[in-house]
Amino acid sequence: MTPRRSRSLALGVVAALVMSVWAVPVLWGLLTSFKTERDVLAYPPVVIFAPTLANYREVLFGSASILPNLVSSMIVAGSATLATMLLAIPAAYALARLALPAKRAGGFYVLATQMLPPVGLIIPYYLALQKLGALDTYSGLVAIYITFSLPFAIWLMVSYFEDIPPEMEEAALLDRAGRLRALWHVILPQVRGGIAVTTIFVFLNAWNEFLFAVVLGGNRVRPVTVAMFNFISVEQTLWAKLAAGSMLAMAPVILLGLIAQKHIVKGLTVGAVKGGGRR
Amino acid sequence: MSALGAVRLEGIVKRHGAFTALHGIDLDIRPGEFFALLGPSGSGKTTTLRVLAGLESADAGRVVLDGDDVTAREPGERDVAMVFQSYALYPHMSVAENIAFPLKMIGTPRDEIDRAVHDAAAKVRIDHLLARRPGQLSGGQQQRCALARAIVRKPRLFLLDEPLSNLDAKLRVETRVELRKLQRSLGVTAVYVTHDQEEAMTIADRLAVFMDGRIVQVGTPAEVYARPANVAVAGFIGSPPMNLLAATVRGRALTVDGMPVAIDGDPGPDGDVTLGVRPGAVRFADRGLPARVYLVEDLGDTTIVDVEVGERLVKMRMDARPAVHEGDPVHLAFAPGAVHLFDGASGQRR
Repeated sequence: MTPRRSRSLALGVVAALVMSVWAVPVLWGLLTSFKTERDVLAYPPVVIFAPTLANYREVLFGSASILPNLVSSMIVAGSATLATMLLAIPAAYALARLALPAKRAGGFYVLATQMLPPVGLIIPYYLALQKLGALDTYSGLVAIYITFSLPFAIWLMVSYFEDIPPEMEEAALLDRAGRLRALWHVILPQVRGGIAVTTIFVFLNAWNEFLFAVVLGGNRVRPVTVAMFNFISVEQTLWAKLAAGSMLAMAPVILLGLIAQKHIVKGLTVGAVKGGGRR
Repeated sequence: MSALGAVRLEGIVKRHGAFTALHGIDLDIRPGEFFALLGPSGSGKTTTLRVLAGLESADAGRVVLDGDDVTAREPGERDVAMVFQSYALYPHMSVAENIAFPLKMIGTPRDEIDRAVHDAAAKVRIDHLLARRPGQLSGGQQQRCALARAIVRKPRLFLLDEPLSNLDAKLRVETRVELRKLQRSLGVTAVYVTHDQEEAMTIADRLAVFMDGRIVQVGTPAEVYARPANVAVAGFIGSPPMNLLAATVRGRALTVDGMPVAIDGDPGPDGDVTLGVRPGAVRFADRGLPARVYLVEDLGDTTIVDVEVGERLVKMRMDARPAVHEGDPVHLAFAPGAVHLFDGASGQRR
């Protein structure tokens, strides 16, 4: 074996080991979701078994169905994402383009909000929603999600807007587009990759959120991340159903990730190379 | 095409914080004229163009187009089109959509847009590329696309910000000829920013030379070349630029390094002066300024000879290769009518 081949083989082994840190729990969960509770608890663990869809039937249509919770998650994450993007796009454009007073300070404030530990905000948020009568409501939870997704979305979108040469917009202004039509016809189509990435990240964060959902939600608003706790009780943990529920909860996230893989990679490297992250 | 396009800038001042980019620019551009704003980087020519377009607001002064004060008007309300140095083509639109954009913004009917787009594209010979995206075009084709987008709505004023600077040397020379022809055929006023004096000299009807945020001279290329207003313009215009030598006037006689230099006319009052002479007006002579040949550059049709006069280099341009070699001692003479004199202190022409 040549040194070059052996080096690439060694690299491959290391990469596989690192990847397995993420992949093994997911694959183990996937296997578990097709096992009976008996197979799950078998010792030594069984890898060859008769697969069953019973767990999926149970978590979707059984007495402990998580379907309403999936719908709840979809409403919360979808609304938070939509509201965030509607506010973040004009805000990021303004920060990137307009000569605003205290622009730098504003930009830093946006970033600084990301530095607060969420757990430190739980009690003030709880008290605020309680006073407003918005505990266990969609509007309450969505509003809270916006408070942390909006700064993140603005911060991410600003770099995309800054990547568009100002002359592009000036050309549109000279062509009588006006600022709003220049934004709509010229700028937004060029940052659609950035909009896609930001939308996905915001949606993922909202979909996967647990801490706020468990404290500020309740019986009416109960996202799937919270509902999964139903399968864990003092007496027992229903591992197979928990695994099936986890797989169902992960499905939209994985699907989104696959669809937007190309954009996400570009989004993570935006600004790394001049013009490299655009579109 | 309208016969409009008279431009008047009155006392335009532009500041960026503590820095003053334009110190009161006054300029008159006639309808149908191809007018160049020429100057080195940072001299204020692009800022002037942007103020004229409305992309930057002036801190003082007025912009008047065809008698209308447009100083406070938005860029889109001035009826001007601009070709940017980077072309600023919209990458997500096809060539046809790029050209159609200005017409779409003013609500022109679809069939009229199609006709105008084809006409404009044909004028700049890109009508076979209409379906392509800007990213699929060469630099020259992108430049034509930007031109077509500018001419499609028949503006009264056509602004060009170094539109040829991203093209290679050969294409630049070809395109500037076409640009001039296009402007003539459209009869539209064009204001053209460039730092390339050769480009300005060949393309413009008249030009304004910018230095440090001020206009130092306005005139036809021939006027500016023949009678530069000061040392800075003299050193900027011409390729190679004018040779500038420290000289002295004593009792109506001009000397360089103690050697008398003959000139036509009166050199003016006593004092230190800067003598300017174009490379083409310097000749070898039997007597005159002593010098030493430093370098002979054969450019094919002409030869540039660098000679050392004391510590300074003087450039000579000759049609035929002279029989001199590097290191040869020589004497220089200047054609008397071709000597320019500038005041030693102010740099202004005497």
